[in-house]
Amino acid sequence: MTKKQEFIHSDTAKLRDSLGKEKLFDALRRMLLIRNFEVRAESAYQQGKIGGFFHAYIGQEAIQTAAVDAIGQDNWFITTYRCHALALLTGATPKEIMAELYGKAAGNAKGRGGSMHLYTDRLLGGFGIVGGHLPVATGAAFSLKYQGNKDSIAICFLGDGAVPQGAVHESLNLASLWDLPCIYVIENNQWGMGTASTRAVAAHPIGESLSKAYGIDNMLLDGMDYFNCYAGFLAAFKQVKETSRPMIIEAVTERFRGHSISDPGLYRTKEALQAAMTRDPIKHLVSDLEAGKMIDDSEYEALNKAQQDIAKASMKYADESPYPDLTVLEEDVMA
Amino acid sequence: MGKKTIDIRNALREAIDEEMTRDDTVFILGEEVAEYNGAYKVTKGMLDKWGDKRVIDTPISENGFAGLAIGAAMTGLRPIVEFMSFNFSFVAFDQLVSNACKTHYMSGGRFKVPIVFRGPNGAAAQVSCQHSHCVEALYGNLPGFIIIAPSNAYDAKGLLKAAIRNDNPVIFLENELDYGKSMEIPDSEYVLEIGQGRVVKEGTDLTLISYSRMMQHCEEVVKHMASKGVSVELIDLRTVKPLDIPLILHSVKKTGRAVVVEEGHLFAGVASEVGFQIAEHAFDYLDAPVKRVCQMETPLPYSSVLEAETIPNPKRIIRAIEEII
Repeated sequence: MTKKQEFIHSDTAKLRDSLGKEKLFDALRRMLLIRNFEVRAESAYQQGKIGGFFHAYIGQEAIQTAAVDAIGQDNWFITTYRCHALALLTGATPKEIMAELYGKAAGNAKGRGGSMHLYTDRLLGGFGIVGGHLPVATGAAFSLKYQGNKDSIAICFLGDGAVPQGAVHESLNLASLWDLPCIYVIENNQWGMGTASTRAVAAHPIGESLSKAYGIDNMLLDGMDYFNCYAGFLAAFKQVKETSRPMIIEAVTERFRGHSISDPGLYRTKEALQAAMTRDPIKHLVSDLEAGKMIDDSEYEALNKAQQDIAKASMKYADESPYPDLTVLEEDVMA
Repeated sequence: MGKKTIDIRNALREAIDEEMTRDDTVFILGEEVAEYNGAYKVTKGMLDKWGDKRVIDTPISENGFAGLAIGAAMTGLRPIVEFMSFNFSFVAFDQLVSNACKTHYMSGGRFKVPIVFRGPNGAAAQVSCQHSHCVEALYGNLPGFIIIAPSNAYDAKGLLKAAIRNDNPVIFLENELDYGKSMEIPDSEYVLEIGQGRVVKEGTDLTLISYSRMMQHCEEVVKHMASKGVSVELIDLRTVKPLDIPLILHSVKKTGRAVVVEEGHLFAGVASEVGFQIAEHAFDYLDAPVKRVCQMETPLPYSSVLEAETIPNPKRIIRAIEEII
């Protein structure tokens, strides 16, 4: 059933040198910010400060961080309900996101969206229905083509669990048929909620199979390796802009938490999780930077501590912010 | 000001064409809208005039192309989506329900969805259970949608232009059997205001309220009742949501009686909403219970005699009026 497909080739040492310490330090900083933000938000959830659904990106941080670094901010971004990271990466502040999680007036979406529906001027959401955001992403790519914008693309993140959805297949068909500049990134974290992807998706490797079905180029990335992801997104961005053709990327990863905060993850053995965590994308990047003598222990500790402090400050801010005034309840239903 | 005679089909095309001329972010997509010239010829000739960038044939993929249009609307364009039948919008239901009508609110007002979903709604001629459903009660239950259902060419043109210019998702309901219905409209450009009903005929004894194709039955009934000495005031809602409740209440307070006619089903329908709002706001003015004449609680059968019976018809409307007059 599962045929081996290789990750794309990337040269970590060469990329490390060309990107340089400043950029890579900043990539690590943002991955640590995402991690610390979510760890703190989980504790706020346990304290009852946050309600509803909460899906952590912990374990997958390298993928979206590398994507944003490789293609830049000036594109359309679309993702699932697991959206804290992409909101942070595309310009939302930790304070406004935490305030949103707390349901406060100063929240990213005025307390209307919560954890699953975050936005920036270039992030269209934060979508809650599995696979339902792919047509929207395809539409953003359609707009770029219609408007004659050849500098930007749309990039859409989905999980392996979305692949069986019809909306995914309709979107890939339309994007291929109409030559739309969209990168579809399947973050294969192995599990659609508690169902292993091998029990949900008929054809593996997922990206390669979809690629053959819809005549769209694909690549496989090691989602735990920032450099492999960066190299892949950079090449994909270049190709999609040049050809105005879509691209499928499968990034193999593993989430270190349950599907959502209420999922104890009983379907996965402790040993399997521990094995996955040895490939922690943050540790991976740190060791790559150490190998290039770009970071030492004290620098790492200071960087991590600073992100912890930002996360904590965002909790304080959210805590002290007022709830929405009840008189605004019915505002913005209509534009 | 000059006048011209035009049918609903051509009135709709003029509206789309004028708005495409005015605003180059407006485009139309759907099944068979381009090379085939439209399943019901609303877009006839438009591919030749505008080219395939703005008049776009889609595959049979409603979930995909409706969602694509929503994404396009969120990123600077003003799409018109033609559903060959609004019954096919059910294949795209998630896109309409989860994305189109909720995004503006859910995003804290950051993203608008200026989009028109248009096409024939309700029953045609014996197209049976899966091609005849009226969708307005379903979409009407969702905050965020505007729902327009014109009954004539003048309203169809003026309201479609308003819908295209509106920054909200609009469900624009047409009727297959009415595309060829003609009337005189102004030669010059006009735009109508969304949310305004119209008193088609003034009367004193009873208010008859409907919209879309059922207006034809109602007009026949008004004439029949006049011949019996009953003066019926007839209201065309034109916009189902937002409902022009002041116009309805003004009339009902005068007549003291109301019958609401809806092509769609009885349970939790538009007529239920209109009737209930009358009860809420004008109870003391009522001299009789409000009556509803709606499609009976069956899927719409194929046989012509069964079809004619389950859809509201003049006979059933007259019976409802006679019960409360």
